Amino acid sequence: MKKRLKRLVCAVTVASLAMSMLTACGGGGGTSQSSTAQTTQAADLKAEDIIKKAAEQGKVGNWGLGNEYEVLALLAKYNLPTKYLSQDFTMDGFDDDSILLASAMTYNELGLVKNDYDGGYKYGDKVKYIDMNDEGVAMMEDNIFTTKKFAKENPETTAAFLYASLKGWEYAVAHPDEAAEIVYKAGSSVSPDHQKYMASEVAKLVSTNTKGEKVTDIGNMDDSAMQQTLDIAKKYVTLDDATANTKFKALTLDDIRDKTFITKAKASDGKFNIEKKSVKIQLKWLPQAQFMGYFVAVEKGYYKEVGFDNVEIVSGGGDIAETTAVNNGTVDFGVTWETNLASADASGMDLVEIAQIYQRSGLVLVYKPEKFS
Amino acid sequence: MEREVRLQKIGRRKTLRQRAKENRKWQKASTIVLPVILGVILVGLWQGQVLHGWFHTDTFTLPLLDKIGGIMFDIKDKILINTLSTVSVAFIGLLVGSLLGYLVAVLAAMFPKIGMGGLSVIGAFASIPVVALAPVLNNWTKDVSSQASIRSMVSKIIVVTLICAADMGLNAYRGLTEIKPFSEDLMAIYAAPKRTVLWKLRLPNSLPYVFTALKVSVPASIMTAIVSEYFAEYITGVGRQIRENIVLAQYSTAWAYIATACLIGVISYVILMALQSILLRRYH
Repeated sequence: MKKRLKRLVCAVTVASLAMSMLTACGGGGGTSQSSTAQTTQAADLKAEDIIKKAAEQGKVGNWGLGNEYEVLALLAKYNLPTKYLSQDFTMDGFDDDSILLASAMTYNELGLVKNDYDGGYKYGDKVKYIDMNDEGVAMMEDNIFTTKKFAKENPETTAAFLYASLKGWEYAVAHPDEAAEIVYKAGSSVSPDHQKYMASEVAKLVSTNTKGEKVTDIGNMDDSAMQQTLDIAKKYVTLDDATANTKFKALTLDDIRDKTFITKAKASDGKFNIEKKSVKIQLKWLPQAQFMGYFVAVEKGYYKEVGFDNVEIVSGGGDIAETTAVNNGTVDFGVTWETNLASADASGMDLVEIAQIYQRSGLVLVYKPEKFS
Repeated sequence: MEREVRLQKIGRRKTLRQRAKENRKWQKASTIVLPVILGVILVGLWQGQVLHGWFHTDTFTLPLLDKIGGIMFDIKDKILINTLSTVSVAFIGLLVGSLLGYLVAVLAAMFPKIGMGGLSVIGAFASIPVVALAPVLNNWTKDVSSQASIRSMVSKIIVVTLICAADMGLNAYRGLTEIKPFSEDLMAIYAAPKRTVLWKLRLPNSLPYVFTALKVSVPASIMTAIVSEYFAEYITGVGRQIRENIVLAQYSTAWAYIATACLIGVISYVILMALQSILLRRYH
């Protein structure tokens, strides 16, 4: 009797184990179904709730080093502590859930998270994102700037550089695929597939404004968008240096941008009397389609056409501060974000923006909806 | 003495330099006075913007001392938080690392076959540059805690530990093994067991070597803590603030943190020296 009972128990246990294993296997398919169901649910979740939940757990990520201002503004907008985790330059932290709400540029990290080409995380449409433009904290990003002194001493050079660069950008926006190839050949830091994706996304940022309207006037320094950037920055950014902070709060648009050169470039027929024939431009990051306009201008000879002997594109990245490089004269022009330029000027630099390439913010906060339902 | 007498006989008077050389009091004072004079000169050159001329720089990149001091005072609460973070990482790492290193050294001295292997492993770890070690450990410690502040601190402490362990291990091993031959012979004559040799001879003999190791690893622990902060997930610490502020072109604030880092280094060294003079009194 006892033996039989034992056997029965064994059989039942084995059977139930097998069943549970099978259901677990099936569970994989099941969860993916339910996760799509959750996705639609999460779509109803407000951005505010997502940001609050992530911030409460202290799992909002950003790279810092001057890329954090929009995230700080967003957190401050919802009265949340302005602390964020340091994201490295991969999306691994987002992948392993140590960061729930990760910063991503539409043209770079967002593509890596979604796409399945080399280096991609293959999430596809399973991830959603919060757009800074929709949240009203969009700040103006990639611009062209130089020092006030250089611009004053070399007005023709500055205008000519703008003329050729904008021509490069116009061409790149019209032909993003070709631009991507040019950048890739020029020594790109990422794969050709990702470069193509990046070029198409950057083209959108250059030709659409924060309200989603089309922009044809490339490089235009739109007063309202720039003023919004400055207002948000003044409201949410505090500099530790008290004198610099007072100066920062008193900055006006006229202190940080100069429209004379772009007006001159736009009105010009392409002939300039250049004072400095060889110039350098410092990128904010590694060579990639984010800066395709300059690479196209070099490749197509636009800089030579206006009279430059040589234009060198200097790679940035990590701890290279583009503001310092331009201010101390290592390079003549640079690409940075408006808030960085404003805070650098407030603490004693002599920088001035001469063109605004990106017309809307490319920063989004990407998240997995299932983590928030 | 003879020479002195002869000099006096000739009737030549001693020069000021010679007299200063012979004066004990002046000798003692000069070890303090001369560095202070150098410091005052440096401060004067800095504040008077002479340094700026020499290095072709401006008061923006190299702010004046009163400005740096002013900022340090203004944001002292912030500085204190960051200092605590850096110092705790450096101190815990130093403590754990030194104990670990000493333990391995003792093992190596007692059981040379196994222990020497341990010493070389620790030595190998320490020769990995901090900039390579820190990001790797960041990834390895992801599962330690769900709190970024904690796992970040753990990863930084491990880096400091590895660096300090090597210093202590290699130095303490010398202290434990390089023993005066006669004392070793004496122990052998008494037929002292290994344990007694360790307690009565090897450990006391290694004490000065421990301080030699600490003299290197105290500054190294602070430096390592500062560098590993650069890569940490959780943004805190003096080193991290230096980096962020320099990239954001906030040089005055960055200098305030640089000054803080210097102070931490100097103060911890002074504490170590004081400890050494108390503990090693009987060796002198």
